[in-house]
Amino acid sequence: MAQPLVPELLRAHLAELASRDQRADGRGQWEGRELSVEVGVLDRAEGSAKVQMGDTIVFCGIKFQLQTPYPDRPDEGGLMTSAELRPLAGRHIEPGPPSPESIEIGRVVDRGIRESGCIDTKDLCIIPGEKVWQVIIDCFAISDDGNLFDAFGLAAIAALHNATLPGERFDVGEDKKLPVNKTPIMCSFQKVGGRFVYDSNREEEVGGDERIHITLGEDDHVHSLQKGLKGVFSASEFVEIMDAAKQRCAELRKIVDSL
Amino acid sequence: MSNSGASDGRTLAASGSLVIPGDKISSDTSGQLGHGVIKVNDELIATKLGYLVEKSGEVSILPVHTAYFPRPGDLVVGYIEGMRSNIWFIDLNAPFNAILPMSLAPMKIEYGGTRDAMDVGTTILCRVQEVDEAHSSVVTMKGMGLRKVNSGFVDTIPPHLVGTISSGSNAIIQQLKDASNCRIILGANGRIWVDGEPEGIRIVRDALAYARDNQHSTELAAGIASQLANGNGE
Amino acid sequence: MGYGDVQMIDENGNRVDGRKAGDIRPIEIEMGVVPVADGSASMRWGTNYVIASVYGPMEAHPRKIQRQERAVLDVRYNMAPFSTTDRFRPGFNRRSREISKVTADALESVVLLELYPRSKIRVEIEVICAEAGTRCVGLTAASLALADAGIPMTDMVVSVASGKINGVVVCDLNKEEDNYGAADLPMGVLPNTGELVFLQMDGDLSPSEFQEAWDYNMEAALKIHELMKEAIANKYGGGQ
Repeated sequence: MAQPLVPELLRAHLAELASRDQRADGRGQWEGRELSVEVGVLDRAEGSAKVQMGDTIVFCGIKFQLQTPYPDRPDEGGLMTSAELRPLAGRHIEPGPPSPESIEIGRVVDRGIRESGCIDTKDLCIIPGEKVWQVIIDCFAISDDGNLFDAFGLAAIAALHNATLPGERFDVGEDKKLPVNKTPIMCSFQKVGGRFVYDSNREEEVGGDERIHITLGEDDHVHSLQKGLKGVFSASEFVEIMDAAKQRCAELRKIVDSL
Repeated sequence: MSNSGASDGRTLAASGSLVIPGDKISSDTSGQLGHGVIKVNDELIATKLGYLVEKSGEVSILPVHTAYFPRPGDLVVGYIEGMRSNIWFIDLNAPFNAILPMSLAPMKIEYGGTRDAMDVGTTILCRVQEVDEAHSSVVTMKGMGLRKVNSGFVDTIPPHLVGTISSGSNAIIQQLKDASNCRIILGANGRIWVDGEPEGIRIVRDALAYARDNQHSTELAAGIASQLANGNGE
Repeated sequence: MGYGDVQMIDENGNRVDGRKAGDIRPIEIEMGVVPVADGSASMRWGTNYVIASVYGPMEAHPRKIQRQERAVLDVRYNMAPFSTTDRFRPGFNRRSREISKVTADALESVVLLELYPRSKIRVEIEVICAEAGTRCVGLTAASLALADAGIPMTDMVVSVASGKINGVVVCDLNKEEDNYGAADLPMGVLPNTGELVFLQMDGDLSPSEFQEAWDYNMEAALKIHELMKEAIANKYGGGQ
């Protein structure tokens, strides 16, 4: 991605607002943007979701392929996550090979899904030692107005819950729903104007500093953490963020589970 | 349904109607050709998606989306994007960056002293001095009121709204100043510098967001007036 | 060619999806679907779903693509991994590269490039779901996105492909017809003048069949042009 020009005035203004417990778009410190989640939106994907958070819009498609399992894990299938930041989604996204940012996003989303164990790779076994399913999670940005991490994370888990194993098409049995036994949710926080806020939009992303991404499962189990960009944070800041994450993750989990 | 009159090409589409590129506006090519209108084989054709405007014999299009193209004399709000030893590069929210040569800086500088004087990320008020055929420009900071700004906030509106905001008897910009108690400087490039208390800045930003969402409304000034009146009740 | 045994049109002239020879697939157009872009549009066309966005004009980088006297169009056509039944691998793809180029050639024929010397205009076309004729949908959606971005053009571009199935010339091929049919003739038409900015063909058409397919494309282009105007009016109102 092109390095965005960060006007000094923007940073100063965001700091001024933060000192008064305000944000540029009028939201509360832990308040997210307007959210919508739809599933089953891509005809050629075996599972899919579209997430809109403010002006950030993403798709996630689940595709399945057959593969031979690794010799040391003959009854386990595979899971792969790819996050594509296509130039369609923003002026700042330049054509070319995947940027470090997009690679990071893909890996953070992958870890949140994988480490939660929401997919048991043994459930992906068709014939041990010979044939297993590979689940491919393709996250795709349509419009980047900030916080693609959470948009992709939400779209990915919603799409997984929507997915059907295409046994008939691959001639290995009947179609059946992909077993997904948990709903891990990622929440991202960014230091803007000197304090952490939830769900930064692009203006806050550009004018802000370090980020922390937290993926929680049921009962507030922690499944993955990632701190990005330069900056420091304190233990007490982390506790505050974690409290906000627990609440927001629970809210989002209810939404996904009800789809 | 659009009534752009493209069906037979002989009727003049009504002023104010929506036209798309390629629509025939008229067979009468005697008038002046304004923005977004070209003459092809004795007919006037729209080249932009927008609203037809007929004023004093000139036919033009008010596009639904505009970019800013610098013109000499424009007062603009810019950001310093980079520099060399004797010039700065200024982001003007235009297709091309502008150049601010050391000789047109507001302060005395020596060769190599550009970064110390004004670093990347600085916001400036400057004036467009000259423009080449690629719409690339030279700006100056020598002149009244042209300077670095160190406080406040810069918001952005589509360039075609700049005229709407600043003109008229109940000018929107005056309404904003009165309601917010802020200093407001409107750049021709659609950037607006607002300085004052955060509450005042918020009032202005909300009004500008409303303006962006309703940019094609004919009742924009009235809409903003009522939005300001209601907003103050928060 | 070679799959002539697959029955795709019956003796009553009904195609597999119920259309008659001259019918186009259902089309839905939406403007401004990428809020952060300068202009954008989406098209649902049969099962196709394509989104196009435009950024610019802007300074042309890298330097080597810059032209002194006019703007260049930097067009990218791409298929999303979930757009096809078998996952489409991301990365360099020859077909996508070719389509990007012919799309740029078509659009450069209508955009008033001389107004923006040394600039570039980015046109991003993403196929979200594919069902035959994606290059036509992409080109049409791109012209909508350019209009939405306020880029001046001499006309809109409407692109559609006709072909031949079981010896019958039909308009707007769907997936099976494209796969098993005997010819494919995609065209990019300027609806106000009937001029062409895009033309490809492969298969086998006699001179009269070719004329039939050509005429189908021209008629379809006019119909689709009306749909474009409706969709644009829905977004921006019929007038002030």
